[in-house]
Amino acid sequence: VGEHRDVEAPAIGLVEDLFRNEHAHLVAALTRTLGPSNLSLAEDVVQDALVRAMHAWRFGVPRDPKAWIVRAARNRAIDVIRRERHGASLLPQLANSAAITDTIDAALAPAADRENQLAMMFAVCDPALAPETQVTMILRWQCGLSPNEIGQAFLVDTQTIDRRLHRGRVRLRELRQLVDVDRLRDVRERRGSVLQALYLLFNEGYHGSNPGEPVRPFLCIDALRLTELLLDAPATAQPDVSALAALFCFDIARLPTRLDAEGVFVPLEEQDRAQWDRPLIEAGLAHLAASATGDRMSRWHLEAGIACEHAVAPSVGETAWGRIVVFYDLLMAQSPGPIVALNRALAVAERDGVEEGRRQLVAVADEKKLARYPFYWAALADLQRRADRHGDARSSYQRAIELSRSAAERTSYRRRLDLLEIP
Amino acid sequence: MLAPVTTESPGTTGPEEPRASYMLIFRGGAVSRDDVSPSVLQAHVEKWYRWSDELARQGRHNAGTALDNAGKTVGGHERIVTDGPYAESKDLVTGALIIEAASLDDAVAVARQCPTYEFGGSVEVRPVQNGGG
Repeated sequence: VGEHRDVEAPAIGLVEDLFRNEHAHLVAALTRTLGPSNLSLAEDVVQDALVRAMHAWRFGVPRDPKAWIVRAARNRAIDVIRRERHGASLLPQLANSAAITDTIDAALAPAADRENQLAMMFAVCDPALAPETQVTMILRWQCGLSPNEIGQAFLVDTQTIDRRLHRGRVRLRELRQLVDVDRLRDVRERRGSVLQALYLLFNEGYHGSNPGEPVRPFLCIDALRLTELLLDAPATAQPDVSALAALFCFDIARLPTRLDAEGVFVPLEEQDRAQWDRPLIEAGLAHLAASATGDRMSRWHLEAGIACEHAVAPSVGETAWGRIVVFYDLLMAQSPGPIVALNRALAVAERDGVEEGRRQLVAVADEKKLARYPFYWAALADLQRRADRHGDARSSYQRAIELSRSAAERTSYRRRLDLLEIP
Repeated sequence: MLAPVTTESPGTTGPEEPRASYMLIFRGGAVSRDDVSPSVLQAHVEKWYRWSDELARQGRHNAGTALDNAGKTVGGHERIVTDGPYAESKDLVTGALIIEAASLDDAVAVARQCPTYEFGGSVEVRPVQNGGG
């Protein structure tokens, strides 16, 4: 101990999100082995292993940290099963200690991870549960967030999160076991819920509910990680899943420039595109190519198409706005909504001119949701400013500032207000 | 040649000052199981690494050892072996670290920067006696 922490040695750290990722890996593996009715027991075992790791590693990192945590969880799980067997409740089908050890080792092996996490995902995305309950369960058991952390993300109290998790647990218990997606009878019914939940998870990272921390890249990265698990399994690797993965790649690639150093949103035309993550854009293009099969143009295909045009364009002026408008038209036909209408109008402004875009924006202003949406007023103000209607722009920016939900939003609008000519 | 004047945080000392060894004995600092998330656990252990790196940067040659809670105690003329340490969890020794410091006050200043207080730990600071000086 200590030798490898000499004066000249570089700082030794841990892989980012190691504890969260191992939490997800181990909870899925143990819940599958012990059954969903023992989910709480699985959580206890994993928490115990992580606490032990924290304690044991204070003076240095072990050679293989991941293996250390898995080993700690394994030993703890075997102890618990042996102890509980006197009450004959856990794994009564296993005849002896060797059988228990073999079963746990097989469950915790890296090769079983994908199957376990997919089984968990499809179990929690039960169409009978509300979407926010599904996402809460994913955040708890597949992203390793505590109820308190989930509450902060959704801006609700911890008790609400605990209630959602309780509802989820009760429902999971009815399943009796977490079935491999290759053998899951209602895999088709559940996959829609899974994709919707992953999209919500991504959005919680991309523009989350908590105004103090509107961008949390790790949730976006988790959403992509879980989506790519779906692509690795034949039963769940459909074209719309590839489209969803493409959308996530393009959006994550552009995350580094969304906020400036003070945490203020940066308008698209001011973002430094050199900082966008090229390898991730390439990965997005590969997913998009894989998505172009079959006869169904899903909502994710359209959204990925739009994100792709932004990601590959050298500048705002050189963006293929014509194609983006077409994607928005199709999106409006398939899943109409005020936000889609707003974004469509902004694309029209780039394609057909500021005046036309402004007219379209004004046309949708009656939408109740948009009237209270600060971004709507800021976008309208931008167009008014560009159309030299500085008086109108001023009042629109002021409206945006009044409605803004975070300091970051407010500062962003105030900066643009300050660019206007003095009346 | 004169050493350049530096303004350093309390607890750092110039290399020319006499050094002695001190042992920091850590007690408690265990977390109550449920309310601490994986991220917070990882962040906590990373705070220890940053602290240790800072001590190394100051040339304090720190070397620490973490202790597991289970164990045995041997005592008395009869060398009687009993199970486990008796202390309550907040008093249980969970690790120790030897550092170099200019004085007891300096060593205490180092101990005050330790991350262990986040989870209610305490640190005992003791000069190491070296046989002949």
